[in-house]
Amino acid sequence: MSVGGTLPFRHRLRTGPYWLALQLVLSGSLFLLFLLPIVALFTYAPPSRILAAAGNPGVTAALWLTFFASGIAVLAAVVFAIPLGYLLARRAFRGRSIVESLVALPVVVPHLLVGVGLFFLILPGSPLYRFTTALGFPIYDTIWGVVLVMVFVSAPYTVLAADLSFRAVDARVIEAARSLGAGPATAFLTVTFPLALRGIVAGLLLTWARAVSEIGGILILAYAVYPGGPYNGPVTSTISVLVYNLFQAGDLADAAAVSSLFLLIAFVLFFLVRLGERSGWVPWRRGELLP
Amino acid sequence: MSGWSVEGLESQVDGFRLGPIDLELPPGRAVAVLGSSGAGKTTLLRTLAGFLPARAGRLTRNGVDLTDRPPEERALGYVPQGLGLFPHRTVERNVSYPLELQGRTDALAHTRPLLERFRLTAIAKRYPARLSGGELERTALARALAAEPELILWDEPWQALDVEARFELGRVFEELRETEQVPVVVVTHDPSLAFSVADSFLVLRAGRVGLRGDATTLLSNPSDTFTARFVGFENVYERSSLEEGRPGSLAAWLRERAGPEGIAFARPALPAVGDPRGAWEGGVRSARPTPEGLAVTVQVENLSVALRVPPPLSVPFPSVRGRVRFDIDEKNLHPLGRTGPSSGTPP
Repeated sequence: MSVGGTLPFRHRLRTGPYWLALQLVLSGSLFLLFLLPIVALFTYAPPSRILAAAGNPGVTAALWLTFFASGIAVLAAVVFAIPLGYLLARRAFRGRSIVESLVALPVVVPHLLVGVGLFFLILPGSPLYRFTTALGFPIYDTIWGVVLVMVFVSAPYTVLAADLSFRAVDARVIEAARSLGAGPATAFLTVTFPLALRGIVAGLLLTWARAVSEIGGILILAYAVYPGGPYNGPVTSTISVLVYNLFQAGDLADAAAVSSLFLLIAFVLFFLVRLGERSGWVPWRRGELLP
Repeated sequence: MSGWSVEGLESQVDGFRLGPIDLELPPGRAVAVLGSSGAGKTTLLRTLAGFLPARAGRLTRNGVDLTDRPPEERALGYVPQGLGLFPHRTVERNVSYPLELQGRTDALAHTRPLLERFRLTAIAKRYPARLSGGELERTALARALAAEPELILWDEPWQALDVEARFELGRVFEELRETEQVPVVVVTHDPSLAFSVADSFLVLRAGRVGLRGDATTLLSNPSDTFTARFVGFENVYERSSLEEGRPGSLAAWLRERAGPEGIAFARPALPAVGDPRGAWEGGVRSARPTPEGLAVTVQVENLSVALRVPPPLSVPFPSVRGRVRFDIDEKNLHPLGRTGPSSGTPP
């Protein structure tokens, strides 16, 4: 992306059998570590059980809640995290290092602590509690509590990805656009943003994945989600809390079935994204693929 | 007041100061900006393009002051180092970009003649990542012209372009000047491109104008070691490299005739091997046939001197490690740095 348009060379390198064997052993070990728990899950949860879980209203409500709340978290990342990333990438200001460290903090803080911190922030009776309640966004044990925790733990991935992606855009390409008649906003929309989009999308995927997998903060802020706002199903929570509850209750087969169901959905989603990228159908990979 | 005019332009970037620069760019004029790395060539172009604010001076087009206009309102085709092509757009959509900005609905149709002219039609649907150096360059030029600029700024896009692409680039510039009358400012390290394209030269040294003039001025009056090497002198000695010569040596002889910066001279002709005449003697380090004859390098004490045997190549060649005698004609010596800035005829 830097100079003109040469792609990195992807010639097949000639290597010996030992090198190949080493690669296979090392990467294969990690791959097995990923794969085996999934295999174990599916052995405990026969297809009939997974189908039954898929038809259970409590499970579908939790699935809906998880995907809806994580979807809002991704939207929030689009609206708030991308501008912050751009700011960090393009502006030099006092205290930028502090801002950058703060942004990265949610990634390293144990997530139960996040929940506790947010709990103290919007303690019932506190001004923020009254404010959010008055706005119609009560936090405790509502879908908004789930969203709040998800945004907190997941938005940094998009901020960091956007920061890096905007930095990686060659300033000379933007200058060429300006010189050809594009104002600053047009140059951003037609050149800078499309070129940063691939990295930003990767960040949004991580944000989504992190939001979906969150449990610690949700256990504290929204252990049981009551109907309200966009959610009007039975009292439940996210998939991770549901699985946690089933496991705690000793309902191992159902825990495995729900987990397997969720894994299947997540796998299909990621697979579709990969297919889209490989086919060149998605806009953020244009220009990097073989014709 | 037709054309562009730069008067006393100054700018600054990270402590580096450029200017004052004066330049007249009437229609069809091509100026090559030369200078060693860090001399301010790119800074000059970026100031002209509007990416660096001018601290002093003016830039005008047909008498209209553009000094404080943003880049998009200057109507110039700026091709930055690396060409600045859009990697996410195909060739044709790179070229159509300025037309799209103008809100033309038939932007793609309008690019067809340009694609045709720059032989890009066959690769119109390709992305820049799949193009060769020459194709990338033609795309960048077609895109710059699609905006119908009134000045082209060309910042040596490729350090090393293959011979054919370079030849073609020279031809395209020629055409630009003749048919479109668009003035061109080219930053380049490539003497053959510069001499084939430019009708005047601006040599920058540490942000200031070191020399300006046409090719003849440059060739007859190289003011510094950079220019001397650029215009093809192969024997260029900085003053410091001549200090050690003892009395009677070649270094001392050159030092007496050198300017404040040093001295330059073209390859002296080597008389026939075995000819005992010649004031200087040296050991042959290499002898290579070239289109201009036999290029011979000899070592005279601590100085390496380039000589030539004019074609047709005589046999026998001087043998490596053999000794030869030669003369240096005092008329061919060019003292460097004596002339000061802005000598010669201004463009």
